[in-house]
Amino acid sequence: MILTGVLLAVIGLGLVGWFAARGRARLLYSGRGSMHSMPNYHGWHMALWIIVPALIAWTAWSAIMPGLVDGVVMADPAAASLPADAMHRNAIMAEARTLAANPDAAAFNPEARTIAEPLRAATTRYGLIGALIIGIVAFAGGAFGFTRIRPDFRARTHVERAVLGLLLLASLMAILTTFGIVASLLFEAGMFFKDVSPIAFLTGTHWSPGNAIGTDIDDNFGAVPLFWGTIYIGAIIAMVVAIPLGLMSAIFLTQYASHRVRRWVKPILEILAGIPTVVYGYFAALTVAPIIRDFGATLGMANPSTESALAAGLVMGVMIIPFVSSMADDALAAVPRAMSDGSLALGATKSETIKKVLLPAALPGIVAGVMLAISRAIGETMIVVMAAGAAARLSANPFASMTTVTYQIVQMLTGDQEFNSPKTLSAFALGLVLFIVTLVLNIIALRVVKKFREAYD
Amino acid sequence: MTNPHWQTDVATRRIERRNAAERRFKLLGLGAIVLSLAFLALLLFIMLKNGLGGLDWDFLSGTDSTSPDVAGVWGATKGSLLTMLVTLLLSFPMGVLAAIYLEEFAPKNRWIDLVEVSINNLAAVPSIIFGLLGLAVFINTLDMPRSSPLVGGLTLALMTMPVIVISGRNAIKAVPPSIRDAALAVGASKVQTVFHHVLPLALPGILTGTIIGMARALGETAPLLMIGMRAFVVTPPGGVTDPSSVLPMQIFLWSDEIDTGFVQNTSAAIIVLLVFLLAMNGIAIYLRNKFEVRW
Amino acid sequence: MNETKLTARNVDVFYGPKKAIDNVSIDIDNGIVTAFIGPSGCGKSTFLRSLNRMNDTIADARVTGEILLDGEDIYAASMDPVALRARVGMVFQKPNPFPKTIYENIAYGPRIHGLAENKADMDAVVESALTKAGLWEEVKDRLTDAGTALSGGQQQRLCIARAIAVSPEVILMDEPCSALDPIATAKIEELIDELKENYAIVIVTHSMQQAARVSQRTAFFHLGNLVEYGETSDIFTNPREEKTKDYITGRYG
Repeated sequence: MILTGVLLAVIGLGLVGWFAARGRARLLYSGRGSMHSMPNYHGWHMALWIIVPALIAWTAWSAIMPGLVDGVVMADPAAASLPADAMHRNAIMAEARTLAANPDAAAFNPEARTIAEPLRAATTRYGLIGALIIGIVAFAGGAFGFTRIRPDFRARTHVERAVLGLLLLASLMAILTTFGIVASLLFEAGMFFKDVSPIAFLTGTHWSPGNAIGTDIDDNFGAVPLFWGTIYIGAIIAMVVAIPLGLMSAIFLTQYASHRVRRWVKPILEILAGIPTVVYGYFAALTVAPIIRDFGATLGMANPSTESALAAGLVMGVMIIPFVSSMADDALAAVPRAMSDGSLALGATKSETIKKVLLPAALPGIVAGVMLAISRAIGETMIVVMAAGAAARLSANPFASMTTVTYQIVQMLTGDQEFNSPKTLSAFALGLVLFIVTLVLNIIALRVVKKFREAYD
Repeated sequence: MTNPHWQTDVATRRIERRNAAERRFKLLGLGAIVLSLAFLALLLFIMLKNGLGGLDWDFLSGTDSTSPDVAGVWGATKGSLLTMLVTLLLSFPMGVLAAIYLEEFAPKNRWIDLVEVSINNLAAVPSIIFGLLGLAVFINTLDMPRSSPLVGGLTLALMTMPVIVISGRNAIKAVPPSIRDAALAVGASKVQTVFHHVLPLALPGILTGTIIGMARALGETAPLLMIGMRAFVVTPPGGVTDPSSVLPMQIFLWSDEIDTGFVQNTSAAIIVLLVFLLAMNGIAIYLRNKFEVRW
Repeated sequence: MNETKLTARNVDVFYGPKKAIDNVSIDIDNGIVTAFIGPSGCGKSTFLRSLNRMNDTIADARVTGEILLDGEDIYAASMDPVALRARVGMVFQKPNPFPKTIYENIAYGPRIHGLAENKADMDAVVESALTKAGLWEEVKDRLTDAGTALSGGQQQRLCIARAIAVSPEVILMDEPCSALDPIATAKIEELIDELKENYAIVIVTHSMQQAARVSQRTAFFHLGNLVEYGETSDIFTNPREEKTKDYITGRYG
């Protein structure tokens, strides 16, 4: 609470500093060339000197203060009655924190009420100490900034350097995110592989984490059925739908359609890509799946299930159509016109030119587009969660219920298990596999696209 | 003089056959488009047919409930708005600043290559992976409140930022170098040139990309499942740290209900979500047409 | 007598490993127009851009040797390129007004350099710059129109006014008429002639007629070398070097 106020105060102080420094700089200003930097920049320079060091101090104090407060509370006689069990104790501390902020809140543990008072006292005391430290830092920074206001001081250069630092920081966020993904997946998956051997995980054909107790744990985490389901739905069924439809759409739109038709149809086709996957999932479950089940029944199948690989794959394929279409569109557009002109000039028909000249020339680009489409399809979650089912089986029957990597990740993490069980951790191992596969697909595809573009540039 | 070779019956028949093949091929292309659009039409028709009847004020202002007759979407809508607010406040400035740096200031070295590779790959990482990141980092490590718009917004911001960076770079690249020359030649510094001239000119393009990225985030469900935004929440969230649901999550939760009354609710919620998305894309197209300067 | 404004001593300019300018030394005087001529790719524009450090904006460009403005080394560490470019203005091949109003086009430079205390000052600066560029009468009633809505010739004069507005000492012009029609070109040339009273003007041109019409001194560049430099009348009537003679008689170009 106190710290939030301090943050606002620091920003206010920065504002005051801005005006003070600008005013001071204006007094020094005596026409062209009399100062290196305009008064505004002196204002910014001063404000930065107030805010940046104070913010660093604020962040540091926010990080160490809870530890200090807990230390004091634990040393308090009232804390003697707390249970030794760390998890239980943390729950009580969390409740006490709520109580300290709001005395009327409900508490399940009576101990929480007894330590709430010392907790609040300690919080207030350390909050005030922190406010004092941050205040001193802010004033020291401000004083230093103020003394530097001189006509020949290059305030603009300094401020611009700070701006550049900020820009650099923002771009490093991307690396940080990538690093965060890799680190958290590796760490949690590492915990999983302590219990389950990676070989059993990657090559085993029996997946039933629910039974995983005791020594046969390796036998229940065989992920091959999940990989198969993922490939069957995302890379086979969905692509059988998406590649012909997407490719033919692109050919029609780029080679045959009039400009006006193209201008209207292309954005409408793009709508397919903008519909949220949860909507597709619902549509698959509500409308497509029953049709497919009935169709399966007329084919004479016994007990066709409502959830089927075919329903999920079909709908996923439709979702991918605009993606394939626009990748094919780009690839076709990159082929030099002279190539198809050569074929047309020999008397080939348009379709012959497309099939014999244009498509072969655009093939690398189209293949790269398909790879990107596959990487998108196997990472897709909601459609399979809502339409594909939970049964981990190795089957080529499209009417059967089938499960995927993403489905199981959701399944493992949305229940009330404790966090460190192998069952929960298996989600991260599956995530790691998914991440690596999509990453490899993307890197190869982007490289192919780049090579392909360079070939015709 | 005519060439007799082209006037034989065989030649004529062959040309007719080839022209027929040409027509079939064209028809195939047309068929592909018609089929895709028919699927879209069917999807929209079924949602409208099932959902329109359920769209009324009580539905729009109500919150989740176990009874389909009283359940509404306001709680989830508010959750979505709060989540999007967090996402926007984080990903927009970060994305724009990163785009400026990479396009205007970045030196050519291995570190910058790494940043570029990172951004291009992040844009293609499955969204559920971002959910795993959010769960492992924000909830398990940093102890932030589960199911909250804060964590949801942070997670989606990491997912949206690469999209904004990429569109931002394209918009900045489209500003002609002559504008930069003009500003530099009257004595503007590089930073002034970028912030006074390049950025304002690139802004419509950046905003278009941002809206498209935000629309994608608004429809996202999978990463939010990972961080537990599937709570059954009866009171709308009061702030970004309260437990909350979002619109797509509400759709997912209702779709699982046994009670057939929820079919109407689910479809109606889908209509609400699609209207939001349509409006956002409409704004993006409007911005692009209205403000984009052609050079 | 005119005093020397800019001095270059043994200047080399590199783009990466490629040497674009080789050991050029030249004195440029105040109060006259100096023309740089030569076949395309001879380095005259490159050399021009090194005179106000616009080459700094090209990642792998490098300048060695010495360039002095009033005896001060413009590549010295103490020289701020921003302050330098306010003193050495530049007009480009294609008119490049900012996509803003006419008024804002002129006011931008004075504003970032703090050359006007208030709105009235700024109005005066804008009017004076536009007047000197011979554009005031044409645009005074539509200062809030977009600069990009003017005709090509007017846009180029707007760019000259924009350069003048920060009161430079030198104005560099990089083929300022190459994108203009003959009538607009004539107007710009007339303007250059008027402006030379108060500034040192350096103009790069690929038109020998233009160099003959507007300049008092001419420098002939070829393959990165300064071949000949002297009074314009001498260069065109009585060149000392064979290469110069071949060029101005149209043997190559």
